[in-house]
Amino acid sequence: MNREFRYAVEHSLVVPCGAAIALVWANWSAESYFRFANALAFAVNDVGMAMFFAVMMQEVLEATMVGGALHTWRRAMLPIVAAIGGTIGAIGAYEAVVLSGDERLLAAGWPIVCAIDGGLMYLVVQFLLGKGDARPFVALMVIVSNAIGLIVIGLHQQSANVQWAGPLLIGSGLIVSIALKRLRVRTIWLHVVISGAFMWWGFWWSGLHPALALVPIVPFLPRAPRGLTFFVDSSPHDSSRHLEHVFRIPEQIILLLFALVNGGAVVHAVERGAWAVPAGAFIGRPIGTLVAVGIAVWLGLRLPARLGRRELVVIACAASCSFTFGLFFTTAVFPLGPVLTEAKVGALSTLAGVLLAIAAAWLFAVGRFSSGILRPPRASPKRQGRFRGRPVYRE
Amino acid sequence: MKRVGALLLLLVAGGWAAGAPDLTLPNRATSLKFAAIGDNGTGEVPEYDVGRQMMAYHGRFPFELVIMLGDNLYGRQEARDFVAKFEEPYRPLLNAGVQFYAALGNHDNPSQETYPPFHMGGARYYTYSKRNVRFFALDSNLLDAKQRAWIESALRQSQDDWKICYFHHPLYSDGKTHGSQVDLRVVLEPLFVKYGVNVVFSGHDHVYERLKPQKGITYFVSGAGGQLRKGDVRRSDLTAAQFDQDCSFMLIEVSGDDLFFQAISRTGTTVDSGVVHRRTTS
Repeated sequence: MNREFRYAVEHSLVVPCGAAIALVWANWSAESYFRFANALAFAVNDVGMAMFFAVMMQEVLEATMVGGALHTWRRAMLPIVAAIGGTIGAIGAYEAVVLSGDERLLAAGWPIVCAIDGGLMYLVVQFLLGKGDARPFVALMVIVSNAIGLIVIGLHQQSANVQWAGPLLIGSGLIVSIALKRLRVRTIWLHVVISGAFMWWGFWWSGLHPALALVPIVPFLPRAPRGLTFFVDSSPHDSSRHLEHVFRIPEQIILLLFALVNGGAVVHAVERGAWAVPAGAFIGRPIGTLVAVGIAVWLGLRLPARLGRRELVVIACAASCSFTFGLFFTTAVFPLGPVLTEAKVGALSTLAGVLLAIAAAWLFAVGRFSSGILRPPRASPKRQGRFRGRPVYRE
Repeated sequence: MKRVGALLLLLVAGGWAAGAPDLTLPNRATSLKFAAIGDNGTGEVPEYDVGRQMMAYHGRFPFELVIMLGDNLYGRQEARDFVAKFEEPYRPLLNAGVQFYAALGNHDNPSQETYPPFHMGGARYYTYSKRNVRFFALDSNLLDAKQRAWIESALRQSQDDWKICYFHHPLYSDGKTHGSQVDLRVVLEPLFVKYGVNVVFSGHDHVYERLKPQKGITYFVSGAGGQLRKGDVRRSDLTAAQFDQDCSFMLIEVSGDDLFFQAISRTGTTVDSGVVHRRTTS
C-alpha cells in the first residue's frame, strides 16, 4: 500500500474524496456521470458492499468478546441508550420536517437518519478528545445506531425476484459455512466465494438486502486472535486469517467506487428531503442523545470515567455525521429518482457534522480546546466523581 | 340609425371574436383529442382560471381526456381538498364527460392512486390506449427496478401507432429551478428510443417549454397548470419554444401520422403550436 492510499484509509478520506469527485462530475457532465453510476450501481451497492458489511459484522462480533466494548451489559448500557435516544431524536426531527410539507414520499426515508459514519465520528472524537474513554462509547453508539438502520433496511429491500428458493439458499449457505469451519478451511476467500454465493442469492431471492449477505457467515469465518475492537485497538490486524486484513484493499476500492457511484447529485434547488436529513442529524440526534443519556444517568447509570457532560455534547454532535452509511441507507431506501437525489444531498451535507463537533468542542472548551486554544488533548487525564459536568482532572 | 346598428354589430362581433378560443388545431372528426395540465392542484385562482379556459376551448375542441402531469394536489390532501383542488376547478369538464388520467408528482400523496376520477386503477404507473395511441403514465418519483421492468415490457408489447409517455419530472428542461432530470434520462431515454416513443410530456418546472426533438423524441414541459414561476426558464440549444409569463395548458390532437399541439395561456392566448410527425421504428 503506498503512503497516500494508507493516509486516505487511516483518515477515512476515501469516501469523502470519492463523493467530492462524484459531486463535481455530476454537476459538470451529468449525463456521463449518471451513465457511469447507473452501470456500476448494482455491482457496487448490492454486491461489493457485502465486503464492507462483513468487516462491520466482524467488528461487532469482536466487540462482544472479552475486553470488547459490548462485553458486559453494564459497560454497554449507556452508549446503547445514547444511540437509541439519538436515533429516536433523529427520526423525530426528520419526520417533523417531512410532515410539515406535502412531499409524503419522503416519510419512508426515516431509516436514513439512523446512520452514523463510524470511521469519521471516531476520527473526529479522537482528534478532539484524544484516545480516552470516549472511543468505546463512540464505537457502541455507531454499532447500535447503524444496526437499527440496517435491520430496517435489510427488511425493506423490495426485490422484484422474490422466490421460494431464497430461504433454502440462505440455509444452504449457512450449512456450507459451518462445514467449512468444521473442515478447518482457513482460506477466508473460499468461505466468501462458496457460502457467500449461496447467501447472496438467498438474500436476493428472499427480498432481503443482498449487501448484508455475508453478515450471517462472519461468525464461521476463520479468525486469528486479536484484542478489543477496531475502534479501540490501534494495532494493525495483519493476519491473513483476519477478515479485516484480507478485505483491506478490496474494501477500500469498493468504498471508493461506492462514493463515486452514489455521491453524485445534480444540485438545482435544495428540496425538502435535502433539509430533512440534516435536520435529523444536526438537531434530532444530538438532542435525542443528550436527553436519553440525561434520563439514563438520572435513573442511575454512570458515565464512563473521564467523560463529562461537555465531552458528551461533543460526541453527540460528532454523531451527526451520517455520510457513508447515510449514503448507503439512502440508496437502499429510495430507488432512482428525484426523491433519492434529495435525500442523497441531505446525507452528503451531514459531513458538516465534523464542523458542528469542532464548534461544540470550542464552545465548551473541552479536549483540544480545553485551554481556549487549539492544542493536543491531555494524554491520560483522570477523573473523579460521576457526571458532574466538566471532568475533574488530577494533575 | 343604420350607423349605430352597424357599430353595435361590429362591437358584438368583435367581442365574440375576442372571447372565442383561438384554435390552431385541425379539429378533425375522427382524431384523438386530449389536453395536458401539470402542477395544477393548488385550489387557487390561477387553477380555476385555467380550468375555465379549458372549458371554453372544449366547446370548440371537444377533447375526451386530460393527462395530468403530476402535482395534482398540493398541500393537504383530504377528501374536501380533492373537491376544492380538483373537482371544482374542472367541474364543467367532468360534467361534460371528460376523463382525467393522472401521473404522480412529488407533492402528490400516493393514495391518489385509488381516487376514481384519476383513473389510475390503484397503481403508481399504468398504461391505456385510445384509438391508435397508447399512453404510459409513469411514477418518476421512484423509478425502481420493478417499474423499469414494467415499462420496458409494456413498451415492447405495444403495437399502437403512437406511444406517448408522461410523468412528472422532465428528462429535458431549461427550467432554472429544477431543470433536466438526467439520472432518470439515462435510464428511460434508451428505452424510449428503442421502443419508438414519439412524444413525452412532463411538468415539475412551472413553465411551458417545448424542446427540439432529442433522438427523435419530442419533449414538452407543461408545469404551469396552476403554479407559475415567472421568468424561470432560460434559453438553450435545446429550446424550441418557451412561455413563463402566465399559467398554461396544452391541447393535443392525434390524427393519422401527425400530432398537432397548441399551448394556451390562462388568458386564452396561444403561446405555441405546431405538429409532430410520427417517426417509424424498425
